[in-house]
Amino acid sequence: MSENDPDARRIATEARDRVRFEEDALALADQVYRVARHLVGSREEAEDLMQEAYARAFRSWRSFQPGTNLRAWLLRILTNLNIDRGRRIQRGPDLQPLEAGDYYLVDRLEENGGPISEEERVDQRLSQDNIVSALSNVPHDFRDVIVLVDLGDFSYQDAAQILDIPIGTVMSRLHRGRRILKKQLAEEAVQ
Amino acid sequence: MIADCDKCEELLQPYLDRELTEGERQEAETHLAHCSYCARRYRFEAELRMFVRQATADEPMPPELKEKLANLRIAL
Repeated sequence: MSENDPDARRIATEARDRVRFEEDALALADQVYRVARHLVGSREEAEDLMQEAYARAFRSWRSFQPGTNLRAWLLRILTNLNIDRGRRIQRGPDLQPLEAGDYYLVDRLEENGGPISEEERVDQRLSQDNIVSALSNVPHDFRDVIVLVDLGDFSYQDAAQILDIPIGTVMSRLHRGRRILKKQLAEEAVQ
Repeated sequence: MIADCDKCEELLQPYLDRELTEGERQEAETHLAHCSYCARRYRFEAELRMFVRQATADEPMPPELKEKLANLRIAL
């Protein structure tokens, strides 16, 4: 094949585009992992899911539209795989915990440790382990939205596209999910 | 006052998400300026969000996983 051969040029262009896609996807792996780690229950599950998602992404790279949000595209693959593999069914209680109000956690902490002063920081009442454990106990539908929006910094619109749900559902799950998280946190922190 | 606090609680999350209308934002801020109970709770909620983010950011991707992902690339 010569450089002037249209097929050769097309193949070379495609190879270049593919390598660029792969490099861009790998450069985002840390950010994707950070979200994946909290969508599932363990590091091992997150690592398996990452490998499945990246294998699929590399196979179907042509379906990614350059110029759109690659991180959201990768996470859409990852969340779909997570649903397909039924991991979600294995985790979390079947019954959704009763939600408390938005002030539930702070009220419980103050009941048990006195008023929180203006100078006091949240980490004086809650630990990192409290957070990680409480988040893992939020039912998956709610946790997915919290992880994408509050940890992954995705907009409501991006989260809706990643999870393939209406934006109103993102908002309602976020609202309820945060309340459930606070109830879980109160249970973790106040014995 | 209790009714105002209930309304303030309702506005809490959209306030932190910057999703309130201008009128609602003013309503929340007027209440917060005069109610130490709600002001303390708003401060707590804002800090809690940051703490959740920090607490979950501490677990970096294992280096060997990055290598495994790179090896998944299909040979040219």
